[in-house]
Amino acid sequence: MANRLAQLLTFWRPPNEALPFTVLFKKFQSILERNNLILELMADMGDKLGGEYIFDGHYIAEAAEKLGDQVFKLISDYSILNQHQNADLFVAFERIRYAIQEELAGHHILTGGGPVAELTEIGCEQSELAGAKMATLGEIRRRLELPVPDGFVITTRTFFDFFQRNNLFDRTETAARLWQEQALDDLRQLSEEMQQRILAAAMPRRLSQQILAAFDALAKRQHNRKLKVALRSSAWGEDGSSSFAGQYRSLLNLGRDELIDAYRQVVASAYGIEAWRYRLGKGFLENETAMAVGCQAMVQGLVSGVLHTYAPQAAEGAMLVNAVWGLCAPVVQGDASTDTILLDRRPPYPPLGVTVADKPRQLVQAEDGGTRWQELPAVLRKSVSMNPAQMEELARAAMSIERYYKRPQEIEWTFDRDGRLVILQSRPLRIHVEAVAGQGITEATRDAEIVFSGRGFVAQQGIAVGKVFLVENDRDLAAFPHGAILLSRYTSPRYSAVMPIAQGIVTDVGSPTGHMATLAREYRVPTVVNAEIATSLLKTGDEITLDATQNIVYRGNIGALDRFELIEEEVFEDSYEYRLLGRLLKLISPLHLLDPQGEDFTSAACRSYHDITRYIHEKAVEELIHLSEKQGARSLSAPKRLTTELPLGLMVIDGGGGTTCPPESPAIAPEQIVCLPLKELLEGMGGMGMWCTEPVAVDLSSFMSSFTRTFSATMARPEEIGRNLVVVLDHYMNINMRLGYHFTIVDAYIAEKINDNYIYFRFLGGVTEFIRRSRRATFIARVLAHYDFLVEIHGDLVVGRLKKLSQQRMARRMRMLGGLVGYTRQLDARMHTDRDVDHHVELFLQTMQACLGE
Amino acid sequence: MATNEAAAPLRILILDDEPIVCKRLKPAFQKLGHTVETFTDSGQALARLGEAVFDLVITDLKMEGADGLQILNGAKASSPATQVIVITGFATLETAKESYRKGAFDFVAKPFKLRDILDCVKRIEDRRRDLPADSGS
Repeated sequence: MANRLAQLLTFWRPPNEALPFTVLFKKFQSILERNNLILELMADMGDKLGGEYIFDGHYIAEAAEKLGDQVFKLISDYSILNQHQNADLFVAFERIRYAIQEELAGHHILTGGGPVAELTEIGCEQSELAGAKMATLGEIRRRLELPVPDGFVITTRTFFDFFQRNNLFDRTETAARLWQEQALDDLRQLSEEMQQRILAAAMPRRLSQQILAAFDALAKRQHNRKLKVALRSSAWGEDGSSSFAGQYRSLLNLGRDELIDAYRQVVASAYGIEAWRYRLGKGFLENETAMAVGCQAMVQGLVSGVLHTYAPQAAEGAMLVNAVWGLCAPVVQGDASTDTILLDRRPPYPPLGVTVADKPRQLVQAEDGGTRWQELPAVLRKSVSMNPAQMEELARAAMSIERYYKRPQEIEWTFDRDGRLVILQSRPLRIHVEAVAGQGITEATRDAEIVFSGRGFVAQQGIAVGKVFLVENDRDLAAFPHGAILLSRYTSPRYSAVMPIAQGIVTDVGSPTGHMATLAREYRVPTVVNAEIATSLLKTGDEITLDATQNIVYRGNIGALDRFELIEEEVFEDSYEYRLLGRLLKLISPLHLLDPQGEDFTSAACRSYHDITRYIHEKAVEELIHLSEKQGARSLSAPKRLTTELPLGLMVIDGGGGTTCPPESPAIAPEQIVCLPLKELLEGMGGMGMWCTEPVAVDLSSFMSSFTRTFSATMARPEEIGRNLVVVLDHYMNINMRLGYHFTIVDAYIAEKINDNYIYFRFLGGVTEFIRRSRRATFIARVLAHYDFLVEIHGDLVVGRLKKLSQQRMARRMRMLGGLVGYTRQLDARMHTDRDVDHHVELFLQTMQACLGE
Repeated sequence: MATNEAAAPLRILILDDEPIVCKRLKPAFQKLGHTVETFTDSGQALARLGEAVFDLVITDLKMEGADGLQILNGAKASSPATQVIVITGFATLETAKESYRKGAFDFVAKPFKLRDILDCVKRIEDRRRDLPADSGS
């Protein structure tokens, strides 16, 4: 309401302040151009995460700067157009830019983190808050869909609050000096004193309340009033390049009353002399020490153990498992004899060797808290603790985790009372390989058959070895075997269903900025798209090695390549630059403002650059109509509503020579339009009659008539559509049209002189289901390409450009675009499978050929 | 269709003040059997060029201390057969021209596709095969 009033007041200004419409229209065009540039820049930055490009910190800073500059200018252009200060937009912009600059300056911002965080909210982006160990578990749960113990994290924010309140940091800095002077006795004394102070420190009431509330919520979820939990350290740097294995404490089987005290014990273990010396020896600074603590519901493990996904010292190509009856702790601490099992690293991961140990006792949860040893009956002592089905299930999970992290993993696991596999922890496994890097690869690849190379685009880098599985429909997808390489004609975001278990993906068609590519990057599945000939050269069952780093597909298993990747010094996805770019994109790309009719479609709700861009685009169109209505009489004719049977809600602004309509008339009839591009576009859009009079096949005409019905039925009430806008000259047209949730822009100039002619077409999908949206984008792209457009797809956005064709051919294409816009409006409802895309493309092209003769 | 006949391994020096570039290029070349040394400090790289002969130098242009063109000169001075690829995030026509004039084999703007630089190196290998007399000292 206040907004309305403000808008009215704006127009009460003296008329001499108003800008001529031509100036405002130029601003409007500039908004459209920037809008495109911003979307393209965002897509480019997203591409860089795929690993195909070598980029550096300079690139990240420059790209972010350029993008920020464009968004700022976009808001400025819009401010001239709507003649407001738009403080909300500038504030939203500055907030985002500030966060980006802080990231670039290397200042981590603990954003949005409270004292506790549920495991379901945590992924690798939250590792500052949740510590490495718990962030990894959250990621394994979220990305790989593997079960992990339910629980929450007492975050590093709590750690800092707890320490600051109790002045616990005041002496930690002296440790570095003592270490330098090798005053180890003093350091030991400091360590003792520090631990005692932590154990005696008061936990702020606010924090303990939140921790206990999270515990109660967990107990409720678990339907267990006497819930017991495990507390595990999850410190910064733990599980990174230094393992800290066994340096920090974990406490098992704790009740509610013991929780806060146990928290103190786990945190105090960070200052135990061994852990502290380890940190100092590794060069960690005191301000790099922070500990989150994971609180997990206890899992009553029947059989548990540790798995190394890669164990060249035991056997090449094997995983190594140590397993015991009962809880996992004895395997980690090394105080029990364990069964030793070697599993093949290749599906279906058969056992290569099983050595059964004599296991006289097992560790179990004690009824009154803590753990206790229990004697095992003779029959269990000497029998193997895992069955073959468990071995295979564990191996699958392990290979998924390794594939995702691109590092050999050390995984703590257990099978619970219900026989369910639960991943307790996973950390990168340090392997010291003596051999020179790269040796053996040249030999291995020299004689290998190259199926194809340098084809298409790398959407996600990496190495995949496995058997090809061709996916043509949902049935194939449901049958997709673990560890296979997905082969398909097209890309589809539906493949995300098997991404946690796929080794790699190759498609004939597709774009590195499409939805599936984005998902492949999220799941880190090595992926090559648009390889064109993959399905003609490969078939289900073929064993291949997909090198999606060099972009080569070899026939057969080239283990040397796979191994090389596992022992590379640094994983790209772990590099600072990758993480930085990922964090920046989270501030830039997500679109929260989805529904222009929604209540939260406001400037104050903009949380990303994408939001700002989307908001301004939508509002700029409204504004232009509004402006021309208000001041139209002075500089040009007022916008007129187009009277047409199609309920388009189209307002026409004539900038000169575009219509024959008298200036005072409020409406315009189609016959009064002179502007060639608009005439053709409307002809194509509304010309259903024309389509039906053409001689077309029976099924085709019946299809078209059903289409016509849908079209008018759902668009019967123009007042619900909102107003769309077209600005015309005699040979020029700029139309901005929202039909349903789709936003189409066509900007075209068509005249005699071939060299001046162009059509720019842009389609942005709306809030429909992700997959159908992407099918629709594919459909549009293929139709446009058929008509010689240069096409780009970035997710939902399809851009087509066409230049320098004769007036006649340009006109036909405008008519085709009209048909396309009409056809596409209802299309997503019809796109049930990927095959429908082919079907619709064929149908549309046939119809067009009948109508246009081209 | 590409072939995978292996050429003689190259001795490659990579210099970029941003470690990420070295870290990512190194394994890609190692995988092809080449030997790779990486530097993030141009002074150290220059010193290394004075004591060992490399077949290929890949260098950043703008750096603290000696810049890419000085590295190019240094590489050519120690061994005229050394090929140099200049990579830069500040690509201008001027710097490109200057690099070529001073004998750079190629000039690549960052960010670039890994494949592009591998192809570039392949061209160097092809040339060495065609001109065996010219291949190193």
